[in-house]
Amino acid sequence: MRLFDRSPIAFGAYGLAALLAVFELAVLLQALHPQVSDNYRAYYIDRTNTCLSQPVTGEYTLGTEINFRSGGPNTRELRPCGWDGPAGDGMHSIGETSRLLFDVGAAQPLSLMLELTGVSLEGPPVQHVDVSANGVALGTLEVTPGRTDRFTTAVPAAVIDGAGKLTIQLDFPDAIDPSKGRVSNTHWRAVKLSAASVTPTSK
Amino acid sequence: MAALHCLQVCANLVYANQQPWHNSGGAVYQPSVDGQQDRLTRFVLLLPLLFVLTGTLIRFLAFRYHQPDTPWTEYFGAMCRWDCIWYVNLAEDGYSRFPVPDRVAAANWAFFPFYPILVGALGKLLPIPTIVLASLMSIVTAYVAVVVAWPLLGRSRRAYALYAAFILSGPISIYFTTFFTEVMFVLLTTLVFRFLGRSNYLGAATAAALLSGTRIIGVFVSLSLGLQALLDRRRTTGSWRGWLPGLLGQPKLVLAVFLSPLGLFLYIAFLHYWIGDGLAFSHVQRAWARQVGNPFGYLWQGLTAWSTTPGQWLTHSQVLALSAVAGLALTAVLGWRRQWPAALFALLAILIPLAAGLASMLRFMVAMAPLTITLMTLLARWRWLFALSLVTLLVSAWFVTLAWFGGNLALV
Repeated sequence: MRLFDRSPIAFGAYGLAALLAVFELAVLLQALHPQVSDNYRAYYIDRTNTCLSQPVTGEYTLGTEINFRSGGPNTRELRPCGWDGPAGDGMHSIGETSRLLFDVGAAQPLSLMLELTGVSLEGPPVQHVDVSANGVALGTLEVTPGRTDRFTTAVPAAVIDGAGKLTIQLDFPDAIDPSKGRVSNTHWRAVKLSAASVTPTSK
Repeated sequence: MAALHCLQVCANLVYANQQPWHNSGGAVYQPSVDGQQDRLTRFVLLLPLLFVLTGTLIRFLAFRYHQPDTPWTEYFGAMCRWDCIWYVNLAEDGYSRFPVPDRVAAANWAFFPFYPILVGALGKLLPIPTIVLASLMSIVTAYVAVVVAWPLLGRSRRAYALYAAFILSGPISIYFTTFFTEVMFVLLTTLVFRFLGRSNYLGAATAAALLSGTRIIGVFVSLSLGLQALLDRRRTTGSWRGWLPGLLGQPKLVLAVFLSPLGLFLYIAFLHYWIGDGLAFSHVQRAWARQVGNPFGYLWQGLTAWSTTPGQWLTHSQVLALSAVAGLALTAVLGWRRQWPAALFALLAILIPLAAGLASMLRFMVAMAPLTITLMTLLARWRWLFALSLVTLLVSAWFVTLAWFGGNLALV
């Protein structure tokens, strides 16, 4: 049957099909070009980051030691991302990066204390933890699996931003895949955080 | 009056298919007024109602047994676990923006909209708790899904009874009677294959469009539609030659091809508008640690995840892996019966989720209507096997419901 022999209903069906095809093609093209924040893109799309920063206030009283075990205070406003818990033995790191945010007010020299325990999963004999503050490297900690240690490091006044915020980033190059390839790196394990504090130091 | 109207509508559904595509008995049933026909109609419409009652009773008694101190009025809420809670929140509050209000990476974009939107829309009209409304809607949907499956079960009374018991009163009836999308998935899949059985491409495409908005895997039924059209043409012309012009020369088929994935595309368009990422339903799987890999690798890992707990026969990973194996075996049966469109859909619906791991595999398998329907036709083959299967279904409902309340991970 030639095209011009067709009924108006057939033409209508072809027309509607063409409209649907154009719509679906447009939607597909749009979907291939997401319009999202860098934070979103790095975590969900490019998969270059396992720590999806969430909006938290970082509300904190300088010098206070925070208990991150279950039964401690609500620490949600100090944890932008990369933590799971709390559990009895502390807040578990998940992924290859975890962050803490402290609102420390005016810039001044500070001392950061972290109480960490290495996870007891099968893996390397020591967990290296690269610590940075607002993007400035502070050093590398060595956390032993199954052992709890307190680590203290100096935070120079210069790294504190104009809004008085201090973002502590912990990177875990030795993070362990607990399921041997069955879960993505967003759920790898490295350390447990049981306490932390930021204390002013004498100038 | 409403119940009578419902039964009339269901009767129409039973007899809408005048050209059976899987009629092992060879008989063609026409609507008629003779006594035998009336008895058959009553059987098809009333038997599932019996299993609605027995299923509700078994699950309710299991609830009372497991949670004796919980008020009985909280039955529907107690049945709502795992993804059900996401669906309730979705029906009540809609989709999250980014960042999500709970300030976590996991977001409800992973859950497809059709069924929760339907519940949410009705919830705006009826002043009852969402989980109660959703559970009642699920029971009605499950009932209709069973009734419309009658011709696909070869009009075998035994297979039909088993299927009705399986969906409404069986061990995994928990999925079909609380708030999961699986029940709508079963109904729409059944409708697609009923329409395809009559080569009604537009009817199948309409159901497929809704199916693709119910679960991501639903979009693959579009391929079954295309395959059915090819097979129909081969049957009509006796040749594969000129298949493309032949198919393009059918305006209804061309329209059906583009209509069938519409639900998915509408959801993609919505997500792009809402959060700027049309594929967020896929990207967000990262928050649940889903890792794409070799499906057979996942299967092997699951099968060999032996228990280290004394007295435990099977680990939950083994249960999930075995359910996928059973699904593949039933897909092979579909192929052996030359039900190629259904076999293609089943194969994709097993392998694609399996490539992201074993999680929820049992739930995915029991919601695959072509597979469970095939299983029931096998179990109905001999009278003794039918009786044994029926008893097993009803008795195991008690234990699996208790496992559901106990948080058994194989049931997630």
